[in-house]
Amino acid sequence: MTDKSATTTPTVSSGIKRGRLNLLFLAIAVLGYIVFTIYVSHSNLHIQSLVLVAAVFGILAISLDMAVGMLGLYSLGQGGFFAIGAYLTTILNARYGWNIFALLPLTIIASGLIGAAVGAASLRVSGLYFAITTFIFTLVLTVVATNMQQITGGLQGMLGPAFPRLPSSFSWVGTPVVWCVLGVLFLCMALVWNIRRSPFYPVLLSIRDAEPYAEAAGVPVSTIKVAFFGLSAAMAGVAGWLFSFLGVVSPGEFDWAVSLNVLVMVLIGGVNTTLGPVIGAVFVSMFPNLVNINPWLQEILYGALSILAVTMMPGGAVGAVRKVLQRMSAGGDNHDEDVLAEAEKAAEETVEAASSIPDHAGEGHEIVVECKGIGFGYGVGPKVLHNIDLAVRRGDIHGLIGPNGSGKSTLANVISGRLSPHEGQVLVKGQQVAGLAPISRARLGFRRTFQAAQLVHELSVAENTMVGLYDHVPNIELRSPLWPLLPSARRDGRKMQRDARDALSLVGAAHWGGRSVGDVPHGIEQLTQLASVCVAGPDIIVLDEPATGLSAKEVHHLAEILASLKQRGVTMIIIEHQTRFLFPLCDRVTVLNAGEVILTGSADEVRADPIVRQVYLGE
Amino acid sequence: MMSNETPILEVSNLSTGYGRFDVVRDVQLRVGTGEAVALLGPNGAGKTTVLNAIMGLVKVRKGQIFISGKNMAGLPAHRIARGHAAIAPEGRRLFLDQSVEDNLILGALHLRRDQDRVRKLLDSVYELFPVLRKYRDRQSTYLSGGEQQMVAIGRMLMADPEILLLDEPSVALSPVAVEIVVKALMELRRRGASLLLVEQRIDVAVRVCSRLYVMTHGEIVDEMTPEQVNQGGMSILNKYLG
Amino acid sequence: MQFILSGIAIGSIYGLIAMALAITFYVTRTINFAQGQLMMVTVMLTAMLSAAGTPVWLAMIIGLVSSCILGVLSYLIAIRPILQVNRFSFGWLVSTLGFAVILENGAALIWGPTSRSFPQMLISYRVPIGNAVLNGQQVLAIVVAIVLTIAFEVVRRRTFFGKLGMATAVDPDMAEAIGANTTVVAIVAFIVSALFAGIAGLLVGPTTFANPYLGSTFGTFGFIAMMIGGGTEKPVAAMFGGLILGVCAEGANALINSQASDWFPFLVLVIILIISPRGLFSSSSPLMRLRRPPAAKA
Repeated sequence: MTDKSATTTPTVSSGIKRGRLNLLFLAIAVLGYIVFTIYVSHSNLHIQSLVLVAAVFGILAISLDMAVGMLGLYSLGQGGFFAIGAYLTTILNARYGWNIFALLPLTIIASGLIGAAVGAASLRVSGLYFAITTFIFTLVLTVVATNMQQITGGLQGMLGPAFPRLPSSFSWVGTPVVWCVLGVLFLCMALVWNIRRSPFYPVLLSIRDAEPYAEAAGVPVSTIKVAFFGLSAAMAGVAGWLFSFLGVVSPGEFDWAVSLNVLVMVLIGGVNTTLGPVIGAVFVSMFPNLVNINPWLQEILYGALSILAVTMMPGGAVGAVRKVLQRMSAGGDNHDEDVLAEAEKAAEETVEAASSIPDHAGEGHEIVVECKGIGFGYGVGPKVLHNIDLAVRRGDIHGLIGPNGSGKSTLANVISGRLSPHEGQVLVKGQQVAGLAPISRARLGFRRTFQAAQLVHELSVAENTMVGLYDHVPNIELRSPLWPLLPSARRDGRKMQRDARDALSLVGAAHWGGRSVGDVPHGIEQLTQLASVCVAGPDIIVLDEPATGLSAKEVHHLAEILASLKQRGVTMIIIEHQTRFLFPLCDRVTVLNAGEVILTGSADEVRADPIVRQVYLGE
Repeated sequence: MMSNETPILEVSNLSTGYGRFDVVRDVQLRVGTGEAVALLGPNGAGKTTVLNAIMGLVKVRKGQIFISGKNMAGLPAHRIARGHAAIAPEGRRLFLDQSVEDNLILGALHLRRDQDRVRKLLDSVYELFPVLRKYRDRQSTYLSGGEQQMVAIGRMLMADPEILLLDEPSVALSPVAVEIVVKALMELRRRGASLLLVEQRIDVAVRVCSRLYVMTHGEIVDEMTPEQVNQGGMSILNKYLG
Repeated sequence: MQFILSGIAIGSIYGLIAMALAITFYVTRTINFAQGQLMMVTVMLTAMLSAAGTPVWLAMIIGLVSSCILGVLSYLIAIRPILQVNRFSFGWLVSTLGFAVILENGAALIWGPTSRSFPQMLISYRVPIGNAVLNGQQVLAIVVAIVLTIAFEVVRRRTFFGKLGMATAVDPDMAEAIGANTTVVAIVAFIVSALFAGIAGLLVGPTTFANPYLGSTFGTFGFIAMMIGGGTEKPVAAMFGGLILGVCAEGANALINSQASDWFPFLVLVIILIISPRGLFSSSSPLMRLRRPPAAKA
């Protein structure tokens, strides 16, 4: 305990330093915003309209980047949500005289709910088909707006409401709509900036890149996807609300080309960055005014530039700048050799006790995981599991071996609830696993690792580990928009970092914490995965081929970690090929072949069994 | 131990990988004419990557790959596939929506102007796996795992390449199917084919091959003959299993 | 009766464009948003050349060749560089649209934004069928669509190149490993696809006349047709999607009111996509589930 507090001190103080830096940054940002707004609100109408249009599209681009960058959902429905916001405001104001500020919450709710409904489509169709579905959503909305002439004004559209004027004594403020639009833009940027600095961000990215991994950590993947997409749609709705003050609201402003243009903005500026979408929006919306030539030539130039941007700069403008900065600071050197040497060192590190991992030792010896008559097959294909019976006692390490294709990983997926068995049932602590929500599975104290480590490559090892703490910190999602500003959140954030570091040092990967996973060797990826499981302090872990691709030293190190986890009373089911690593650890071993259990017994019994030697060891 | 003649396949100092790290480092191996060589090792050792690099499916980062004395490193896969090498890949990767015979004929892509030769090759594949003749018009999705593996091997043979590359042909097969595959490989060897076999079942490798490389962590760590394996079986077994 | 026949006629045009979209999607997993503009280029060039006195057949051939060249260019410039960096990138959404913008505005710049006359071809012939009447051009569209669809299917299933295309679509890496130059396969797919789009343009030209904005209208309808049919899985399904779309649009005009074709097809599309997100004739469709062959033996 005592020497642990000593090790935490430097990080805490650096955290405070970073907190002060954050405040300074915030102050500069707010000041800059105010100065800029004052300048714009007093300049001529031409500049004002340029800036306001750019700002509205900036908000729209940020909202799209939330879906594309953080969830990986390529939405072409943003123009549709934009239209909903604008039409709702205009129609209700013009025809029923509703107050525009009362309409703002209504706009948010309406576009958010419709967005959530559209987002639910992403659960049925993924990738390109989601893009197409949302594309059609926008298409249909424009068709509706064009054809319902009595309500929407048809192709001509209708004039949007005027933004209220301030009393003349406030004329020094300048044009009020400028303050409003730029204020909302600032809030939206702050929102995504905060989310990117909250522990919710790794969770979002793990949903995007490694859905099974997120689900195994107890993240309600579908709910978050739908809700977050709804949030993104609500933001687009707000952009529409603002847009209605700028002039005419007509179908042409929201057709599918607009949705694609917003995607162009995001891709040009840089996907998954706070500043990128705004830069892209400024560029795209001001382009026609900057290049004052024949309108057709101008469009041609724009088309050519957008092709060039996506082919030449896959990371967008922000990505390109980052790359240049990185190259300048790294000096162009490749440190692969050092990295590998470090990896070897990590393997040598001794395992120290980490107090944040709870102890389950001495909790009895009853059966905690039980499979009864499991049968399973993929699709219409042949069955891969036949009538599997398996009982795992508390505190045991239970090995599961068998040749490739014998159904081991399928069984792991069935036990952990990712696949539902066609026959039979899986009981964890007496509770049936199939059909249980991921969060409830995680709350059973039940975690798993994957054969091929599923991690978010652009995040650091420590951030990936923190995903494992999802169910330990209340309301991550709800607090994330204000995360860096909430004292309770900062406290939780520090605790999460501490826990993640403890878990990483438990698996001997402590000094890898800051590196991004894309830059670490395979062995460290496996250890990160293990750390993200351990950090939650589970009492049952399913490990799917944890030693795959590890060097001899790393395998030895892994065995030590697993042994120490066993001492804490953690029950483990280990699927493995490397019997020399597995057998000494195991209390019991089950041998699988062609989807059937051949034998369950102690390691020695299994080793001695002639059938096993023939089938598996190939003698 | 080996003669001085040019080997069918010679890999020297091969390094390659996927991300920033090399999965395979400084691999040296050779396969003589008419020789069957196995590459053994645990999961994740980099065996499949070596095969894919030889086939041109993974970019070679360092080193040379000579097939019959010609350097293939850096060539695209479709050039290497023109009679130099052919692969029966991991997971078989048949064109599942097409018939058995179409899969086989696609394997002879570079010979398509020589229909006589394609016919002959097709007959020799059907001779090797008579069951495929029976199912020639069946869509390959509806074959059993063993039959699919036979199609994959057949498709590889249809290219009539200088060297055959096989990636774990015994995976996920019933004992009977493994036996058929092993017999077929032994028959190919008898016919004088040169082949490089990635395996994780030692018994299969020992029966088919005359030389075995052992690979762990992206490097070749040992080389031995089946006799050596049979004499000191357990020690290599242990080396292999971890 | 009349609306069914004229729906099938216009549906054949939509179907050809939908097939053009589906063919390139089939091989490269991308949608070429410039497809409608390729059609437009054929129409404009043919109109311009024939107005300048070139024989109509030569003008048509030049029009088709130019759309093929532009189709290949769209692949080489807007799609291939992106897929080479990351096969699963969606950057082509933007770059093919950029290509479309260039073509459309280029055409407007060169030929002006107004409509030009197009060779009359068979439009003045009247073909009575039952109690309905089609003009010669409509009959020609239906016949050409049937012939091209059958020809495409025969080539795909029966010829070596068709099988190679299927193999490339299913597993491009393995296709490389058996010796297929997948770039060449993709280029051929783009040529075939541009031919389909160009022919659709020639068939519809006498009715619509030639103007630079023809492409975006027909491109959108072709896209909807592809989605209705499920052309992302099977190019032929796109043709059926086109026919359904055509009949729906004409039917709505005839039975509801003269503006209904503006929105009724969209309603159909939404309903179909709710039932079957990948289109009516895709494997996810309840319609197809009934006909799935029984599981093979283990």
